[in-house]
Amino acid sequence: MKQTKTFTETAIMVRQPALDIMDCIRASDMNKPVIRYVLYGEKGSGKSLTLAHLLHYALEEGYLILHVPWVSEWLRRTPRHKEMTNSQTKEGFVDLPLDAAEWLLHFKTQNQALLKNCELKISKDYEWSKREKTEAGSPIAALVEHGINRVKYACDVIDALLLEIKILSNSKQCKTFVAIDGFNSFYYPMTRLNTPTKKKIKPEEVTLTNSFLELTKNDWNNGVVVLTIDQLAVPDENQESFLPRYLLYKKGFEHLDPFVPIEVGRYTDKEFLSCANYYRDRLWLRGPSDLETELKFTSASNPYNFMLQCAPL
Amino acid sequence: MSNVLIFFYRRLKNSSFNSSTRTLSKLQIRNYAKATSFPDYYQNPIFRKEDQVKLIADSDLKNRATVPVKPPTVSETSSVYFDPLVNKVINHVMEKGNKRLARQLVEKAFENIKRKQIERYHLASTPEEKAKIELNPKDILYKAVENCKPLLQLQPIKRGGITYQVPGPITEKRSLFLAIKWLLETTDEKERTVHFPEQFAWELLEASNNTGKVVKRKQDLHRQCEANRAYAHYRWQ
Repeated sequence: MKQTKTFTETAIMVRQPALDIMDCIRASDMNKPVIRYVLYGEKGSGKSLTLAHLLHYALEEGYLILHVPWVSEWLRRTPRHKEMTNSQTKEGFVDLPLDAAEWLLHFKTQNQALLKNCELKISKDYEWSKREKTEAGSPIAALVEHGINRVKYACDVIDALLLEIKILSNSKQCKTFVAIDGFNSFYYPMTRLNTPTKKKIKPEEVTLTNSFLELTKNDWNNGVVVLTIDQLAVPDENQESFLPRYLLYKKGFEHLDPFVPIEVGRYTDKEFLSCANYYRDRLWLRGPSDLETELKFTSASNPYNFMLQCAPL
Repeated sequence: MSNVLIFFYRRLKNSSFNSSTRTLSKLQIRNYAKATSFPDYYQNPIFRKEDQVKLIADSDLKNRATVPVKPPTVSETSSVYFDPLVNKVINHVMEKGNKRLARQLVEKAFENIKRKQIERYHLASTPEEKAKIELNPKDILYKAVENCKPLLQLQPIKRGGITYQVPGPITEKRSLFLAIKWLLETTDEKERTVHFPEQFAWELLEASNNTGKVVKRKQDLHRQCEANRAYAHYRWQ
């Protein structure tokens, strides 16, 4: 956020992995089941920004965007006390109502244009309680509104919403783009959540996990699924490698198999020079041009490290 | 000890009258107060590329090659990152030998300065205003330290049972030390929620503008010296 203010613009470098995925999307047949792309790479090599670039592409092409900014927010980042309730519709599962409501708001703001034109309708009745009911044939926007207003039912609303979106995609009423950052934290054996009885919760016992795992199965068509797996999504002891098989564990790998792995690497020479020139243009970096050779060596052309090391110069 | 003095004198002869180079040359001499593991005749290392080039050009190399050399410390590198004044400030910020943390704090402070100045640059409308805004954080540090250096100091001298505060001269080294010490002291008097780098950035920016608490402290000292002018002869009584 600070960087956008300092540079007075939001600009992402166009790099090869993003262009590869865009070519693949254009070439793929929408009638076949969804293709899942997995972005992997070292810490700080630019996976999340590649995802951002693809989201922009999806918006331009008119996809319905389902974007989870960072899965670990739900499962691992626990400020003092996380609002958790036991799920009412499913036995033994745990809800995260506030996070679910926040995500529904995020979904609404991202897809404002598509939700407004009201052609996407739900196919089934959903009964939330004796007095609250969402009828078949009402637009998706109404379902989302209900979830935001009644935080208690937000997780169930998400389940229903994802089911409906799958049905709509299958019937070719809309094309969907799913983007999940930090997918591997769904498969890490522990979360940082505890029940009030101090029992540790596994990710499979959280309703949100199951909703999004259902979404990434390849039993629907007319869509694209792009996932990112990141070492930062898991605690330090399990961060030995950045490769998919290690980070996804056996279960995740089998769930996602077959997928298209795409590596996001460090800067090439040309990318490094263009990044350095951009920083100079934005007044972030100054000094003699020998700085570049030295910085290339000390940061090992890693985008994040390069940005950090330019800070005090 | 004597060899160090001769070295010092030669440096003073060779350096120009620009005060900043004089200060910088003094920074690179280490006159240890206690006995160190190196005897006095060891010369200080020359680790900057431009100094080495100058040495080869002056062909002073033969004289130096015979005298043994102390090794440079870990932070004295020939990289673009190194600056003697910045290194000195980092050393003053450091506590219990935690140089890594001290360096991170000072670098964060520089980053904060840079962001603020870039913000001001974009808000400035005319090119003349833009040209006046200094964007390099190191230059701001130099300017701030320059503006905070006192030119006189008060020495307590006892005459007839009364301790008078007598104004007297101050060495360059002590002046630099006081400037850095005052800057850090004023940053310590901050609110609990404000972090050190942010407060330090504020102090440096204000000092480089000749406003703020540190410059006020220096000016108060000068005023005191002016007021106690009458006692100046006590230095020689």
